[in-house]
Amino acid sequence: MKSSEENHTTQSIPLETVQESLYAKREKIYPRQVLGLFSRLRITSVFTLLGIYYIFPWLTWDGRQAVLLDLPARKFYIFGLTFWPQDMIFLAFLLIMAGLTLFFFTALAGRLWCGFACPQTVWTEVFLWMERWVEGDRPQQMKLDKAPMSARKFRLKATKHAIWIFFAAYTGLTFVGFFSPIRELCVNLWHFNASTTETFWVFFYGFATYGNAGWLREQICIYMCPYARFQSAMFDKDTMVLAYDTQRGEPRGSRKRGEDYKTAGLGDCVNCTMCVQVCPTGIDIRNGLQYQCISCSACIDICDEVMDKVGYPRGLIRYTTQNILEGGHTHVFRLRIFIYGFLLLSLFLGWMYAISQRSLVELDVMRDRNSLFKETETGFIENVYVVKLMNLDEHAHSFQITAKGIDGLQLELNQTSELKLVSGEILDVPVRLIADPKQLKQRSTDVSFQMQATDAPTNPKLTTVEQARFLGPITR
Amino acid sequence: MPSSPALTVPKAQKIMAVLWSSFLVSSLASILFFFTFDPQTALHLDISKMAAYSIGFFLFWLTTGLSSLLTLYFSTPLPQVSSSTHIDEL
Repeated sequence: MKSSEENHTTQSIPLETVQESLYAKREKIYPRQVLGLFSRLRITSVFTLLGIYYIFPWLTWDGRQAVLLDLPARKFYIFGLTFWPQDMIFLAFLLIMAGLTLFFFTALAGRLWCGFACPQTVWTEVFLWMERWVEGDRPQQMKLDKAPMSARKFRLKATKHAIWIFFAAYTGLTFVGFFSPIRELCVNLWHFNASTTETFWVFFYGFATYGNAGWLREQICIYMCPYARFQSAMFDKDTMVLAYDTQRGEPRGSRKRGEDYKTAGLGDCVNCTMCVQVCPTGIDIRNGLQYQCISCSACIDICDEVMDKVGYPRGLIRYTTQNILEGGHTHVFRLRIFIYGFLLLSLFLGWMYAISQRSLVELDVMRDRNSLFKETETGFIENVYVVKLMNLDEHAHSFQITAKGIDGLQLELNQTSELKLVSGEILDVPVRLIADPKQLKQRSTDVSFQMQATDAPTNPKLTTVEQARFLGPITR
Repeated sequence: MPSSPALTVPKAQKIMAVLWSSFLVSSLASILFFFTFDPQTALHLDISKMAAYSIGFFLFWLTTGLSSLLTLYFSTPLPQVSSSTHIDEL
C-alpha cells in the first residue's frame, strides 16, 4: 500500500484511470488522524449533531416527551407543535425545504453536507475515534492487521468491537426512543419486557449503525448515496470545491532541504502522500475533483501542516472555485443561488405562516342517511345530523355548536352535558335542526354549523365553520 | 477478450443497489400506505400498530427487493455473439 502511494508518477493521471480503481477489490482504508481548522469544525459538528440526537428524546415539554413520533397514536410531537395525519402536508413541505436547503448549500459551497453533517460521516467519525483509541493511528492499525492472530491482536479487536457494539446498541435504543417513550423503553428493555417490535428495531438500527459506521464506511457514500450521484448537477464553475492547485504543485517530487527546487524544475508538492493517507475515501485529491471526494477537508488540514513544515505558503490544497483555479473571478451571487434562495425563503415563510394559522379544531357534518326530514308535532321541519368534533390543540377545551342560515333556526342536542374534548379527542354528536317551514324558500337550504371553544371564544384557531344542507318539503 | 472494466460491477455495489433502493422505496410506500389506512380500524388487524407498521414495512421491502433483484437480473449484459460465429457452432 505504502509503496504504491510513493510510486506515483509526476504527471497528473487522467480521470479514466481513476475510474478503474473504483472497480478494484476494496481494500480497507486507514485514515490517518489529522488536526486542523476543518477537523476541529467537524469535531464541533459531530458533538452538536450527535448531542441533539442522543439528548432530544430525554427532554420534556409540557409533561410529555419533547420530541416523540407517536406512531400508534398517529401524532407527532415536536416541542410545542403537534402534527396529526391531516398535517402530513406540513411534514412533506418540511422535507422539500430540507432538500432545497441541501441544493442551496451545494451550489454555494459544494459538498458541505457530506463532510460535516451527514449521519454517515458523523457516526463514522466517532467509530474512527474509538478504533484509534483502541488500536492506535494508521501505522499501528495497518501493522496490527498484517500481523498473525495473537493474544494481543485478539484482545484489541475484541475490545474495539465490544465498544462499537455497545455504542451502536445505545444508538439503536435512542432511535426507538424517538417513537416510543424512551424512559419506559429503557425500563422495559432492562426487565426484558419491551415489545418484540421495539426490541427488534433497537437491534436493527444498532446493527445498521455498527455495519455502516464500522465496516462499510466510504462504500455507503460511493455506492449507496443518491446525493453523491447527482450533486454534480448543482455544481458550476463558481461552486466552492476542494481542489489541489495543479499549476502550483506540479511537477511534484521529493527534494532535499534547502535545495532550490524551482531551478530543479519541481513544483510545491513534495509528494509526501499525506493527503492520500488522511483521506477517508482513499482517493488522491491531486488527480482532480472526483465524485468519491466528500469534501471532508482532511487533506487541506494535513497539507497546510506540511507546507508550514517545509516553509511554503499554505493552500496548495484549498477550498476554491474552478473559475479561480483557471485564473478568473468567482461570482457568489448568480442566478442559481437566487433561484434556490428565493424558493427556499418563500417556502419557509409560507410554511411558518401556514403553521401559525393552522386551525386547532376540526368539524365534520354528516346528514342522517335514514330520513330526509321529519315534521314535528308542532308543524316544524326537523333535520338530523351527526357532527364530528375534533380537538387538535394540546389542551382540553369545551365547545359549543351553533347553526345559522334560516331565520329562527333552532339547534337541539340529545346530550345536555358540556361538549368537553381533551387533546386529540374526536367526538360524534347527534344534532337536530328545527326550522319553521314558512322560512324555507326551496327544497334544500344552505346552513352553516359553527364550532367554537367556550373557554376561548375569541381565538380564531379554536373556531371553525362547516357548510351543510337543510332539506324540507317542496314549498307551495 | 476480457470484459471491459466499465462493465464489471463489484458485488458490494450489486447487493447495495438491490437492498438500498428497495429499502428507500419501501419506506416511502409504508408511509403513504399507513397514512391512508389505520391498521386497526381500516384493516382490522388484531396486532399492535407498531407491529403492523413493522410487518407492513418488511412486506413492502420484500416486494420492492424482489423487483430490484429482477431488474438487476435482466440488466446483466447478454452474451455477445460475434458476427464470425456460425449459428451451428453455438
